[in-house]
Amino acid sequence: MLGTWVCARAQEGQRPVFRVKVDMVVLSFTVTDSKGRYINGLKPSDFRILEDGIVQKVATFAEGNRPGVQILDDGSTRPLIGSPSVPPSAKEALGGDAVVGTNVFILFDTSNFMYRGFVYAEDAIADFVRGLDRADSVAVYTFSRNLSRASALTRERGEAIQGLRKAVAGDDTALYNSLLLTLRDAAKVPGRKVVIVFSNGPDNASTVAPDDVRSVAEDEGIPIYVISTNEVNKDAVSSGVFRRITTRTGGKAYWAKTWQKQVEAFESIREDLGNSYTVTYYPAPNPNEGFRKITVEIASDVAKKYRVRARPGYRPRGGF
Amino acid sequence: MKWLRSAICLSIGINFALEAQDTLDKVRQLERRGDALAARTLLARAAQDSGSAADLLHYAEFLDRYGDAGCRAVYEKALSALERSGDRQRQASIQRRLLELDLIAGNRESAARRVEAYRSLGGKAESWRPAPPPDAQHLVTVPGPMRSFGRMAALSTDLKPEEVMEALARNVVTNGYQASHSNEALEQTEYLKLVHRYLSQARELEKLAGPSRTIRIETCESPAAGELLRILGYRMRGGCGSEVVLETVNATRAFLTTDSGFPLAELEQDLRTNRPFVYDFSPTKIPILYPQDYLIGSKEKQEGEFIDIFLSDPSLCRLYLGLSKLEPATAEELRKALPVQRLRAFAHVLDFYGAMFRIRDGKAVTTGGPRAREAWAELVGVSPDQGVQFFERLIMKDDGWMASYFDALSRLKGPVHDYLTEPNRMKRFYAAIRGKVTSPGPARPVFRSNADMMLLTTRLRLGPDGKPHIPGSLEVWRGLFVNHPHGKYDGKLTRIAATWKDPDDVLEALFALCRKSVENEPLKIFMALSDLDRNREKPLAPATVDRLAREYRFFGAQYAIFNDGPAVSDATILQFLDTAQAINKIRDQLLRADAAGTMQALVGMWQIFSRQGVLAPAESDAVLSNILAGFAKIGDDRELFDSGRGGVRVLLKATRSRDDATPQEHLIDLLAGVERPSDVESHNLVVQEMMRILEAQRVVSLNTLFELADHLEAISRGERMNTALVNRLAGRIAEIQLPRASLSSVERNAIAFGYWTEKHIDEQRRVNLRAVIARAAGDAEKLKSARGLLTPFLRDTLVALNYAHYAPPGAQVLYTNPLFVRGHDFLGLSGSPQTWRSTELFGTGWPSNGGGRLVGSLSGLPYALAEAEQNFLVPSQTQALIWGDLVPHMILSAKIPRWWKVTPAQTHWVGLHLRYGQKLLAQAAFDPAAHKQVMEVLETQAQPRRAQTVSELLSHGEVAAALEKVTPSELFLLASDAAPRQPAPGDPCLAEIRRLGAEVPGEVNEKAISRAFGTPKPTLANSYRPELLNLRVFPALMGYSSRIMAESWESNTLYWAALADEVHVPPSQLNVRIPEWTQQLIERIFASNLEDWPAVLRSLRMVGDDVRAKLKLQVEAEQKVSLN
Repeated sequence: MLGTWVCARAQEGQRPVFRVKVDMVVLSFTVTDSKGRYINGLKPSDFRILEDGIVQKVATFAEGNRPGVQILDDGSTRPLIGSPSVPPSAKEALGGDAVVGTNVFILFDTSNFMYRGFVYAEDAIADFVRGLDRADSVAVYTFSRNLSRASALTRERGEAIQGLRKAVAGDDTALYNSLLLTLRDAAKVPGRKVVIVFSNGPDNASTVAPDDVRSVAEDEGIPIYVISTNEVNKDAVSSGVFRRITTRTGGKAYWAKTWQKQVEAFESIREDLGNSYTVTYYPAPNPNEGFRKITVEIASDVAKKYRVRARPGYRPRGGF
Repeated sequence: MKWLRSAICLSIGINFALEAQDTLDKVRQLERRGDALAARTLLARAAQDSGSAADLLHYAEFLDRYGDAGCRAVYEKALSALERSGDRQRQASIQRRLLELDLIAGNRESAARRVEAYRSLGGKAESWRPAPPPDAQHLVTVPGPMRSFGRMAALSTDLKPEEVMEALARNVVTNGYQASHSNEALEQTEYLKLVHRYLSQARELEKLAGPSRTIRIETCESPAAGELLRILGYRMRGGCGSEVVLETVNATRAFLTTDSGFPLAELEQDLRTNRPFVYDFSPTKIPILYPQDYLIGSKEKQEGEFIDIFLSDPSLCRLYLGLSKLEPATAEELRKALPVQRLRAFAHVLDFYGAMFRIRDGKAVTTGGPRAREAWAELVGVSPDQGVQFFERLIMKDDGWMASYFDALSRLKGPVHDYLTEPNRMKRFYAAIRGKVTSPGPARPVFRSNADMMLLTTRLRLGPDGKPHIPGSLEVWRGLFVNHPHGKYDGKLTRIAATWKDPDDVLEALFALCRKSVENEPLKIFMALSDLDRNREKPLAPATVDRLAREYRFFGAQYAIFNDGPAVSDATILQFLDTAQAINKIRDQLLRADAAGTMQALVGMWQIFSRQGVLAPAESDAVLSNILAGFAKIGDDRELFDSGRGGVRVLLKATRSRDDATPQEHLIDLLAGVERPSDVESHNLVVQEMMRILEAQRVVSLNTLFELADHLEAISRGERMNTALVNRLAGRIAEIQLPRASLSSVERNAIAFGYWTEKHIDEQRRVNLRAVIARAAGDAEKLKSARGLLTPFLRDTLVALNYAHYAPPGAQVLYTNPLFVRGHDFLGLSGSPQTWRSTELFGTGWPSNGGGRLVGSLSGLPYALAEAEQNFLVPSQTQALIWGDLVPHMILSAKIPRWWKVTPAQTHWVGLHLRYGQKLLAQAAFDPAAHKQVMEVLETQAQPRRAQTVSELLSHGEVAAALEKVTPSELFLLASDAAPRQPAPGDPCLAEIRRLGAEVPGEVNEKAISRAFGTPKPTLANSYRPELLNLRVFPALMGYSSRIMAESWESNTLYWAALADEVHVPPSQLNVRIPEWTQQLIERIFASNLEDWPAVLRSLRMVGDDVRAKLKLQVEAEQKVSLN
């Protein structure tokens, strides 16, 4: 969600009052068949987006890393690039005129819990970075007790890998604190973005709760993917949290103890990114200032058996 | 006609003089108003227009006063103008100032020329001695680059070469060894094992590098590539060419490769593009204090390289640390006279307590002057005249207790020093400390364990009669020890307490208790009550002290509150205790928590307003008493709501709320600054931040709550329900999230807290005012009672106002966790009530609960909030150490003072002092009298080793290097000490100091400056009221007192004030700028260990340089526009 804080002066007392204007919602989702295979090539007219049951008018549409299109009032489309009539915020949401692709934020756990698999994890992440679509940008952050921005968002794979290879093993694990800071950074970047967490799971130093962090991701429309290097049953608490924060944000969780599984998990994420649809819309009037449920329906009859994976909703920022 | 020409010239001269005077007057007025930039422009224009020596000099001196490096060029122009006039005296004065500026800037070549010019004009300047060449013999070789070794050994890259071995030794001693699981011996930690493994890998790489010391891989196919990858623990996947990828084949080696920062990505890239990979792998030479032969025996030497032996021997590291702590000349005397084994055996004592040792002309320098020398001789058993033997015996004596006593007394100055070093007292108090059994010594643990002794000696106060101030009376303390309320403090002391007749008897008991390894409650009581008295005009009455002492265990954490309002009467303090006890007696847990929270939040605001001077001292007592009165007897939630609202009314009335302001607006305005700020923009920034926090916490505004309460009253009188108003509350309630209490069983067992907090949130979620009104069906009494439902909301709003006021920069927790304020647990664990204990952060790192939350009272709220926030800081260096105790304290020091009432004259005063302090150091480089004066002051602040280093550097003319070792607070003290003693002011900074001192004495006196730029010291001085104590920086001490180390660091705010003055940031912006600068400061600290204070200094200066670079460009651009 792109939101703008508006500072107005109330009539009485001339003191600042804060209201939020919800500019636009960015929604990414994937469509799969009953066997989990991605369904590509669907058109804007194949979807209906609803918020609390209210049908939304889609402003722009993009598939994978292909350039987005503007949806005109009559349902026809026009390429987004170079289109003068597309509002700047919509262009920005999809990365601007010249930019397509996804902004990928990798959050790499370098705490004590990762000590044993540290180097293999680095290899797997490096492979993932190398294999990203050329249009994608990538940032590599590492964390233990504090976050470290090892490499800022870049399209230069070498830069990202260089940052990754400079990671230093740390001590305590503040996973959710660091995830929150990563989401805050990601929220500032226009375009489609995802956060990929690569961690062993346990957290022993965060002061924020996973679900509060998940809310931020949900509201900002940033899917979280988690690759846990632990076994799913080893740490039930972390596994449950990982499931919640990924499902609720439109991402996925993987349990990949071995290097091979980690590579597979990354491959799956890469496929997800390349096969997802992204739409933007300006929410239709809705009195609900709390959690707004998003539903993506596939309009065409033939596709009724398809499964859509998207974030379940978001919470617009309220006024004071 | 000649007379006419003369008259015209005279007239023009007078006009020019008048104009110049007029300009200077305007400049002063502008500065007084805080518009230094306009003043600067005015002078610049005058200098530009006239080009006269006088105008140029005025402009140069103005720039000099503000620390602007541009003053040098203007001084040069003024000098040229004066050369034409032939005024040699003024020329000499400018040459001297330029010489000082050259020395401060580290421009030795220019300084050398300048000194000649100065002498040619009749000035006197001693030549500085050339620096001795570094001794090539004392070097240790480490394979590979320092950067890699530093990463593995957790050493800051900012360390100077000569600091590396000491930092390494400290890391080995504190982190290198742990108790073995299988036997009594120590075993290496993973940290040290990795350092050893790295060295082994580095030697292999060194071998591969060959005599050229360069790793060179010509092509991907070369055999050297394979060998290099084998050593690094990697292999190539895919054949040589653009597809080549490096992947791990040996995890142990690969870990070392990546953790040590080997340029693996570059290697991979070069292999891929088939370009030669070249990497300089020259060994690193690290200076050591003494020849290797001295530190290790010939037998040990055969065991390998020095660095390996050093890392493998913690006692050798401790010896090195001990010798590093000593003043070099003293260390040399000891080294020459004593066998190394002897020193090694007591290295731990030297390390912790040797820093104050000094030998001069073969004699030990002892504290206490000539009269105490005999007592030292008696205590130690050797005369101080035999310097080496004296210190040898001192470190051996009583397992380090004697050395720790010597150290503690040597750090003192002033009347307390004189009192405690009176020979009989010295002996008596040492006997008390020593006791019968000396083991374990205070140097045995990882940190110094004589924290209580240092605290007692440093913070002791003497009364007007020259005797120690004993809070209350001797009788009170006798009673406390004899009829101790919670068990004996000490059997022997209990017996003899009945015979106490003199303050020294109490002091002796406190010294004796410093030995106790368990919590030293009497000392804490003594310090807390002494600090209360310290700030009061009239000391607390004995009866009050007696009660405060006896109830310290329950309410001690609250006593610091009274230090923010020193005019609080004894009666109100007792009323506070009565009220707290009354709240404790409320049986309903939820009501009790709400009562405690509401009362504490109101008292918290009273504390803030008293501290910031919003409440006049004369009113503060009555205000607190009136707030407390409402909580004396709380029967139900309706009464509590009325008491809470009553408390708000008391605060509004006392702070003179505007008629048109709503309660919430008024309180936020006051909490964010002043109600009618001069700088609306800065004020609004703070208001906005606070409002965002309140919004993020979904609190209901006071206005809504009070309107609802009034409306319920009105409905009870027959009015119709205001649906919009009731819906406003309902809307807010709907936003309150479910408490996240899904603790796992492990978590629930480990931290069984939060039950009542969850109930508190649930209770709010269930409130349905509309239904209540409907159910009441017009029953007036029921409708009136319904306002009790608003009580939990009122508590949260009042608590949230406190949270918002103290919110640290970033405030991620407050913005992210909407239940953080509501989740404050005022009850704590059952069976261990925490209602009146200091605030603590609980529940971090438990993924399935609701995140961290604060537990306990609000008395330690600023620290707890800062603690919760510290892990959100992003260090600029991946390895940077974020100190657990240091960082929260720095954060709260940047938030609590607020600087609302700081004047431009005050920031300029601090800036002038710091610059004048620099000048004094520069002067010391060529003026022996100034050198002596500087060192006299510096030796009262810096440890002998650092003082000697500074002295040496000054003698060599290395002023810039000397300045790097002097803290801003030391510079300030140095200037404060010297300024009043200087003869006629020839220096622009000194002249301005004198002028301000005469013009605005109320703003720039010691007390006012301490109040404006001091730091809060909740542990050291039991107070959040900012003040400067001018203490030596404490070393790292054990236990709670590690916070003391952070609290004794007073340089940050002084530095920021001088910086703001330099870049013309008005004081009204300090409120916003200092938290920002502090965050940057913390994120850039790259320290190697807990006592690495120079790392803080480095970071402070780095941030200062950045700010200067950015803001000075703006200033110059603005001036350019104004001049054109």
